[in-house]
Amino acid sequence: MNNWFKQISLVLALVVGTMFSALSFAQDAAVANPQATEGQIWAQLQAGATGETTSHGQFHNQPINTYDLRVLELRSDWLAPALMAALFGMIIIFVLFIKVNGISKLHGGFSGKLVYRWSKFDVSIHWLGAIPCLLLILTGLTLLAGRFFFQPYLGEGFWAALIYGAKQVHDVMAIPFMIGWALMTVLWAKNQLPKMYDLKWMLVVGGYINFGPFKGKHPDAGFANAGEKLWFWAFAIFGLVISASGMLLLFPNLFEPSRTLSLIALILHSVSAIIITAFSIVHIFMATVMSEGGMECMVSGYCDENWATQHHNLWFDEIKADGTLKYKK
Amino acid sequence: MATMKFLCDTKRCIECNGCVTACKNENDSALEWGIQRRRVVTINDGVRGEASISVACMHCTDAPCQAVCPTNCFYKTEDGLTLHNKDTCIGCGYCLYACPFGAPQFPKQGAFGSRGKMDKCTFCAGGPEENHSDAERQKYGANRIAEGKLPMCAELCATKSLLAGDAEVISNIFRERVAYRGSKNAIWG
Amino acid sequence: MKLTRKSNEAPTVAKPTLGISRRQFMKHAGITTGGIAAASLLGTGMMRRAEAKDIPHDAPIEIKRTVCSACAVGCGLYAEVQNGVWTGQEPAFDHPFNAGGHCAKGAALREHGHGEKRLKYPMKLVDGKWKKLSWDQAFNELGDKMLDIRKESGPDSLYFMGSAKFSNEGCYMYRKFAAMWGTNNVDHSARICHSTTVAGVANTWGYGAQTNSFNDIQNANAIFFIGANPAEAHPVAMQHILIAKEKNNAKIIVVDPRFSRTAAHSDLHCALRPGTDIPFIYGMLWHIFENGWEDKTFIEQRVFEMDTIREEIKKFPPKEVTHITGVSEEEVYQAAKLMAENRPGTVIWCMGGTQHHVGNANTRAYCILQLALGNMGVSGGGTNIFRGHDNVQGATDLGLLFDTLPGYYGLKTGSWKHWSNVWELDYEWVKGRFDQNEYLGRIPMNTPGIPCSRWHDGVLETPEKLAQKDRVRMAFFWGQSVNTETRQSEVRDALDKMDTVVVVDPFPTMAGVMHRRKNGVYLLPAATQFETEGSVSNSGRSQQWREKVIEPLFESKTDLEIMYRLSQKLGFDKEYTKRIAKDANDMLVIEDVTREINRGMWTIGMSGQSPERLKLHTQNWGSFSNKTLEAEGGPAKGETYGLPWPCWGTPEQKHPGTQILYNTHKHVLEGGGNFRARYGVEYQGKNLLAEGSFSKGAEIQDGYPEFSADMLKQLGWWDDLTAEEKTSAEGKNWKTDLSGGIQRVAMKHGCIPFGNAKARCIVWTFPDQVPVHREPLYTPRRDLVSKYPTYDDMQVHRLPTLYKSIQEKDSSAKYPLGLTSGRLVEYEGGGEESRSNPWLAELQQEMFVEINPSDAADRGIRNGDTVWLEGAEGGRIKIQAMVTPRVKPGVTWMPYHFAGVMHGESLENNYPEGTVPYVIGESANTALTYGYDPVTQMQETKASLCQITKA
Repeated sequence: MNNWFKQISLVLALVVGTMFSALSFAQDAAVANPQATEGQIWAQLQAGATGETTSHGQFHNQPINTYDLRVLELRSDWLAPALMAALFGMIIIFVLFIKVNGISKLHGGFSGKLVYRWSKFDVSIHWLGAIPCLLLILTGLTLLAGRFFFQPYLGEGFWAALIYGAKQVHDVMAIPFMIGWALMTVLWAKNQLPKMYDLKWMLVVGGYINFGPFKGKHPDAGFANAGEKLWFWAFAIFGLVISASGMLLLFPNLFEPSRTLSLIALILHSVSAIIITAFSIVHIFMATVMSEGGMECMVSGYCDENWATQHHNLWFDEIKADGTLKYKK
Repeated sequence: MATMKFLCDTKRCIECNGCVTACKNENDSALEWGIQRRRVVTINDGVRGEASISVACMHCTDAPCQAVCPTNCFYKTEDGLTLHNKDTCIGCGYCLYACPFGAPQFPKQGAFGSRGKMDKCTFCAGGPEENHSDAERQKYGANRIAEGKLPMCAELCATKSLLAGDAEVISNIFRERVAYRGSKNAIWG
Repeated sequence: MKLTRKSNEAPTVAKPTLGISRRQFMKHAGITTGGIAAASLLGTGMMRRAEAKDIPHDAPIEIKRTVCSACAVGCGLYAEVQNGVWTGQEPAFDHPFNAGGHCAKGAALREHGHGEKRLKYPMKLVDGKWKKLSWDQAFNELGDKMLDIRKESGPDSLYFMGSAKFSNEGCYMYRKFAAMWGTNNVDHSARICHSTTVAGVANTWGYGAQTNSFNDIQNANAIFFIGANPAEAHPVAMQHILIAKEKNNAKIIVVDPRFSRTAAHSDLHCALRPGTDIPFIYGMLWHIFENGWEDKTFIEQRVFEMDTIREEIKKFPPKEVTHITGVSEEEVYQAAKLMAENRPGTVIWCMGGTQHHVGNANTRAYCILQLALGNMGVSGGGTNIFRGHDNVQGATDLGLLFDTLPGYYGLKTGSWKHWSNVWELDYEWVKGRFDQNEYLGRIPMNTPGIPCSRWHDGVLETPEKLAQKDRVRMAFFWGQSVNTETRQSEVRDALDKMDTVVVVDPFPTMAGVMHRRKNGVYLLPAATQFETEGSVSNSGRSQQWREKVIEPLFESKTDLEIMYRLSQKLGFDKEYTKRIAKDANDMLVIEDVTREINRGMWTIGMSGQSPERLKLHTQNWGSFSNKTLEAEGGPAKGETYGLPWPCWGTPEQKHPGTQILYNTHKHVLEGGGNFRARYGVEYQGKNLLAEGSFSKGAEIQDGYPEFSADMLKQLGWWDDLTAEEKTSAEGKNWKTDLSGGIQRVAMKHGCIPFGNAKARCIVWTFPDQVPVHREPLYTPRRDLVSKYPTYDDMQVHRLPTLYKSIQEKDSSAKYPLGLTSGRLVEYEGGGEESRSNPWLAELQQEMFVEINPSDAADRGIRNGDTVWLEGAEGGRIKIQAMVTPRVKPGVTWMPYHFAGVMHGESLENNYPEGTVPYVIGESANTALTYGYDPVTQMQETKASLCQITKA
């Protein structure tokens, strides 16, 4: 990306100390307690020695905090482009895929009979997580990669406003997102447990491929199909990581993380973001474009009966059998 | 072009905090209670091997703060200084995590990014505003470099422990000192 | 510049919580100028300085050469002034003392131009509320009260506490003020600083001052610190010390109970038990004599009665020394060996040596060490006694002391006659100002007054026990923070008991705050030294002319103006300022004051430093070498910077000043000298004069007594005097001849005006002829009390003084921890001024006590815990614990700069609005205890006892 990290010579000043410490000889042997040489002092400082200071500034009792400077390179050279790719790359891939493949139509068309699938509460927590999530993706992308991909094309004032806005929105949206995440993860987990038939689902890529050997296949699926389960668990796990690392960054005075831990949090936050973003794009495409009738579920909470039989046959059979099937009146 | 650096001679530093208040004095217009651009740290305090070092922004050649800043508010001057633009700063604190020297300071510690604008040592070189303008004084403090002077902390150092200036020049001074310390009959500059 | 009055709105000051106060800058408050014209125009409004940031960058800059007002190193700096506001501070790289360097205090000097916590106008406490009053009203009320007390109780019921922060002119005029009032109850903080040095050292070889200079330490091969921590107390001195270390590989030995920041740079640190300096020094001398390391020729020629010391040290073999001091035998041996093998070596001491009830003996012991090693009167040697305040040397020289007139002339009738002569006043008139009666066999005019350390005893003691008519009823605290005095509870009681308390200071200070009074307290705002001009003497006896930087802030007035106006009210202004011209504003011409000082100060040769010469030096800093202090060229060519006294003769004689005292390698006219003949020519039949040693070029090539008119005649040098000089010199001596003729002629013949004698190892006029180890009054080592007991109780000057009756009581069981105290680099003295400076206050926000990890563990105390510290007399303070190996087990240490909290209760409500310092805290002296040196009344702050418990 650029040449910042070619050399990691941090402090000329202190390095000079090491170079010439060899020249400073020990004091007279007669003296009982000689002092530390420049080299010894430098070695201690480099090892992260802490000490006394009159400053009340954060971390001010430690002259040098040592950590692996490659994290900076990782972040700017790999994670920032990766997040761009997770968002825009996935969109491009999907658009191309749909161009080639087409969408998954309901074979029987819409039946007009709507089956109860999600409660009003479920729908609300979905959007409680989803809307912040979208905003977080966009603002997060601005924060991580904006300086590389957007700033060069923007005026100084606009950039300053954009990045400031991004930070504010990101901070505020974090809270509803985490609530949404926590509720979804806890309340929905029991329907997301993997089953044997999920394996088969995976083998035929859910039956969405409209050509070759996969064409026309409709694998079994319960309330959630294997793809949804994968998304759910990825969201659950990386949602946890992104929330936890985000909390450290959002409430530093509550958790008092070390600087190194904060940097690790920053990296984990970015990695999680990349994964969640990529999944989110897939999820959105699946729900809105790819799967005809899918979007209805998170609008009204009901799905078309045909949609249910085509995509979630086992679930439909089950609710029919135990009498919990409800139609919209 | 010269590359400006700080260098602290730990054998000379007596932890008198002169550099700290010199900074406060010179950059008073931009600083508030609680913001210390420079501090002195003493390791092995109270025992043999006690040594003090004055620390502030070291104006790194490849500055981690610059690398990690989401807003890209840092910039390098032609003197090799690492300065920043407070107008763009969003107070995220990443530079504080990245800086090995704990140089970035924030006026507030609140959650939700309400740390306020980051402040750090400017090598007494002000900021991106016009030299000696009110805006520069209020946001960044003094601009001694523009007047051909060196940072106040080093200029007022009681024992000439803290040196500031062209990297080559100050490392030569230090190298000479270290050499003289070892030999009994050497003449000191 | 804007001139706006800050309407009726009082400044919203966030009240500081216990110990910590927040920054209270009123960033957007109204702005006014610092000028006096504007100040009087605006009357009572809460006025604000014009802040530097409100001045346009390109406003014209005036550069003032001024001198730091913190310690006595005397660092110079350039102050930049724009539109009358102190907007910038630039390093004076060309200054010979500091080469631009400053410590935290010096680097924060410009804050003096802000002064947001200063007293803004005269105030008076009325029914518990601070009320503003005009200066005229203040002078009238105070003057009337003074005259009433004079009528009822005599002049000695007034107490004049002065300051080491005055300029030389201020010191001199304050001492003269007390003399004109008719009392010797005048003193200042040198009493609790280096009074024991002045007494002990002067009685050893002539003058009680630093013998060499800061810069000369660069030439030392060994530097021995005892009870000194220059890294914190005199940081810029470390510049020279570290150069010696680097250039000469000088060995640094630090003797201190605490591993100080100076010790961090040492080759050898000896952590002695507080109060055992004499055994330690004797332990070193034991090795020196045992190994024949003493300078035999030097001792034979220039030292009196070293044999007595040889006998004395036989009582201190290595084992005994280790038993008493706690320092290992090996370390004591190493200290002696390093000093013996690395000559010349210098000895440096400060409060750790002086502030003991055996302080004068401590200082004599240090001198004896240097005499034995032959380190005196040589470059790189000497006793470099670092003074504390910026002008404490000048204040001491100018007799701001209870026991002498300016120039150490004493209080004898002859002394008074000399000064009456200088003042051109009738001696009988001066005498008539005093109480003529005798009390406890003492005549007030010739008896030392009440010391600074014990003015409160002068208030609280029953009048019958005092050697004066009545107790002290009214006191001026002029530039003195009373929290630097031990026994704070008694100090508070005394403040409560007096008729009237007057504080003259830029800040309210503790005397104005810690009492429980509802009435009768006056606060008069004095200007700082940056708001006036005058000369100032650094520790190395160099004088510098300090230029005025800004006009007095707010309604404050300069010290000289306040003294003069008060004398006008009291009706002795004509006599007081007889020889001093007044300017158009009826203010004293300060240079005339300097000239009057020159006219009288023959004893120490403060006679040659005219204002013109001092100003010339100030204008030519750059021409003086940072290594030698001498000007190799320029208008002051050949002179030493600041004309360190003795600068003999009149200014016209152009003596170059004496950088190194008693240096026989130089001609007297080049700053040479020898030990002073101050105590006659013989003692008990033994010769006191030097033998075979004399300064370069002396025509009398042996010892000789001090010069007088008669001696000139005997020598046949009388006719070297001019006719005019003869008139003045007839019947006089080198100290009292106002023409300077006797001095001139003596020097013409290469002789030192004060004679040529030996240094004394015994002082027969002191309670102990040789330094004697005496255990502290509050000692943790009860086993040593019987062998090394203190003195019997005695009457010292006007006050009864206790020794044995205190030591007899064993309090070591209840108070097992040793307690000692010291300085922080960020604060100075009582700290009222530095704690009001936000740049400094931010760095030290809590009063604390250092305690060893093992003592802390025994008490369940962790670093940062709040603790109660109880002193051996029951004074309790609530402070923070700093658990640190700096102090050894059994020893604790506290900084003494804090005040504003007492016995755990904040005093912030007692301050006038807007004057609470940024940081307040318990005063160490609330816990510190009784104990006074019998010679000087120095207080004991370095060896006491305490107990610490978790709060």
